[in-house]
Amino acid sequence: MIKSLGYFLEILRGSVITSRHFFINMWFHTLKLFGIKTKTKGAVTIQYPEQKKEIASRHRSLHRLMKRENGQPRCVACMLCATVCPSECIYIETAEDSDDEIQKYPSSFIIDISRCCFCGFCVEACPEDAIRMDTMKIELASYERECMKYDKEKLLIINLIDE
Amino acid sequence: MVKILIDGNAIEVKEETSILEAAEQAGIFIPHLCFHPALTPEGNCRMCLVEIEGFPELELACSTKVADGMKISTQSEKVTEARKSMLEFLLAEHPLDCPICDKAGECKLQDYYDDYGLFDSKFNEKKEKKEKKVPIGKNLILDRERCIMCSCCVRFLREITHTQELGILQRGIHSEIGIYEGMPINNNYSGNLVDLCPVGAITDKDFRFKTRSWLLNRRDSICPLCSRGCNITIEYFHGFSRFEELKKVYRIKPRENLKVNGFWICDFGRYNYYYLYEDRMKGITYKKIEKESQMTWENTLNFISEKIKSLYHENKTSRIALICSSWLSNEELFLLKKIFKDDLEIENIYLVDPLQGESDGLLLTSDRSPNTRGAKEIGIKTMPLNIGTLSKETDLIIICGYFLVDHLKQEELKVMLKSIETKVLLTAHNSELDSFMDIVLPIALIAEKDGSLTNTDGFVQYFSSALKLPGESRPEWKIFIDLAKRLRLNPAYYNKFSSIKDIQKQIREEIPFFEEEIE
Repeated sequence: MIKSLGYFLEILRGSVITSRHFFINMWFHTLKLFGIKTKTKGAVTIQYPEQKKEIASRHRSLHRLMKRENGQPRCVACMLCATVCPSECIYIETAEDSDDEIQKYPSSFIIDISRCCFCGFCVEACPEDAIRMDTMKIELASYERECMKYDKEKLLIINLIDE
Repeated sequence: MVKILIDGNAIEVKEETSILEAAEQAGIFIPHLCFHPALTPEGNCRMCLVEIEGFPELELACSTKVADGMKISTQSEKVTEARKSMLEFLLAEHPLDCPICDKAGECKLQDYYDDYGLFDSKFNEKKEKKEKKVPIGKNLILDRERCIMCSCCVRFLREITHTQELGILQRGIHSEIGIYEGMPINNNYSGNLVDLCPVGAITDKDFRFKTRSWLLNRRDSICPLCSRGCNITIEYFHGFSRFEELKKVYRIKPRENLKVNGFWICDFGRYNYYYLYEDRMKGITYKKIEKESQMTWENTLNFISEKIKSLYHENKTSRIALICSSWLSNEELFLLKKIFKDDLEIENIYLVDPLQGESDGLLLTSDRSPNTRGAKEIGIKTMPLNIGTLSKETDLIIICGYFLVDHLKQEELKVMLKSIETKVLLTAHNSELDSFMDIVLPIALIAEKDGSLTNTDGFVQYFSSALKLPGESRPEWKIFIDLAKRLRLNPAYYNKFSSIKDIQKQIREEIPFFEEEIE
């Protein structure tokens, strides 16, 4: 009996908090309506999927692989990004290029986005500026884990769409 | 003996020692690129400059011999300035392609720049282009841009292998390492040039671009591919945890041991490491049991021990045959002899080894099994295989290793094993022999177990496991102890063996040959 009364009291307290927020926000919005400027402003909800907030220019978003002039990846497969990655989500396989100037290129480059913590260390470690996180793509959810593994081809195409 | 003073430390060294070696004895490190203890110093890199009191100029530590009362300083301002300048000279034409260089991470030039350099380049001019990919041998690729002309490779081929395939061509700034036209490096020690090269000028085709050196894990082991028993380091990388990749050995490197192999290993031992993970036997096969869940070590060992027991109680031990090999360690051969020869009194113990190869006169011996000397000292006698008597007068045969395949043809094997009632095979690899067997048990390789080996000169070397055991496999010494415990022969004797150390102690007590070598 006393226990259920306690629950009832908690519900009451919750509705008090909610309505307090409502009236405070209502108060500031009404003041704004009459042209009175205040320090605190009323809270605003962004209608997310329809309405989008601008992303800061330094925001770390989905990776992309940069290209050379001939369309080949700029990456030389030095594996520094894979070494520095704290969540071990980068997997690189290397191969020998026929061009003596390039010598080494990644035959496979996979980033497991589901594991990635978006720290940006890979971008910092890259000596060739071959990987960047400036695609501004943040909607990366997927129904399958396999779809979250971005391979070399996928990471290079992201580049194309943006430029 | 000569008394000298290095950085204020008074030490006494032998006459004819170089300053660099004397400093190393005192625990002071002098940077060097072209010096190697096994080769004559040439003083090409000039990184080892030191200041000696009374000498007008800086002297080379690698080629200057110590003299009584020398006062040497290795850290003075003049020396550090000289080191920095020397590095600047070396890096003037160096391409700095560390991201794609296989040596990165273990490159001496890279390390020294970090320790003594840290300057910005003063050159505005473009660096000279040279050939980046010159094949100079079966497994070797030379990059002339990276070469710093230390001449280690030339000296190695002149002084160690005496083959002299490499030389320095041209003069002055145009000088470069090269081979005689159409005569690539073709000796059994060419792989050592890759380790010897202080920069990434000579790279290994087998290791080239496969992985990076800092990702590799390093474990000490002993090379089991011939009876020399060279000390090696196995370098492997198990892959990043998020991506499935088999634990893979990337390369074998020599480990310094002046008593056995010096600083080198042969190419036969270096490049034949694929046996470590290819064609491995991973699970137990037991043909009489259909359910896989019942194929356990317990069941199979129980079955074998029951079989041996029944034959033993009927006084039919002469109908048990054992074929072992010198790929077993000293401890395992010792246990094998104790159980089967001394306790069960089995006479039919054969030693079947891999076929003999060719010796190259330096390290590689003609005997291609690691422990022939150990088997001899322990007292396992080699008997000629008599196929006729073996097939007729045997009920149970236990075979360790698949080397029988090398000696007998498939038909001969079939005839020999056909009439034998129970056939047990202990092997680490899949082979033709598997199909003839009733029970196949997976075992460990030398790199995966603890133990000791006796090399051809009678030098006992102890080693511990470097790699993890694949699948269900177990080391043989554990199998032999388990079997002995199940047979209930002399329980007081076998129960005290719980680790490899206990067996080693027992061997030292019982066999005088092993007494002395305690490491």
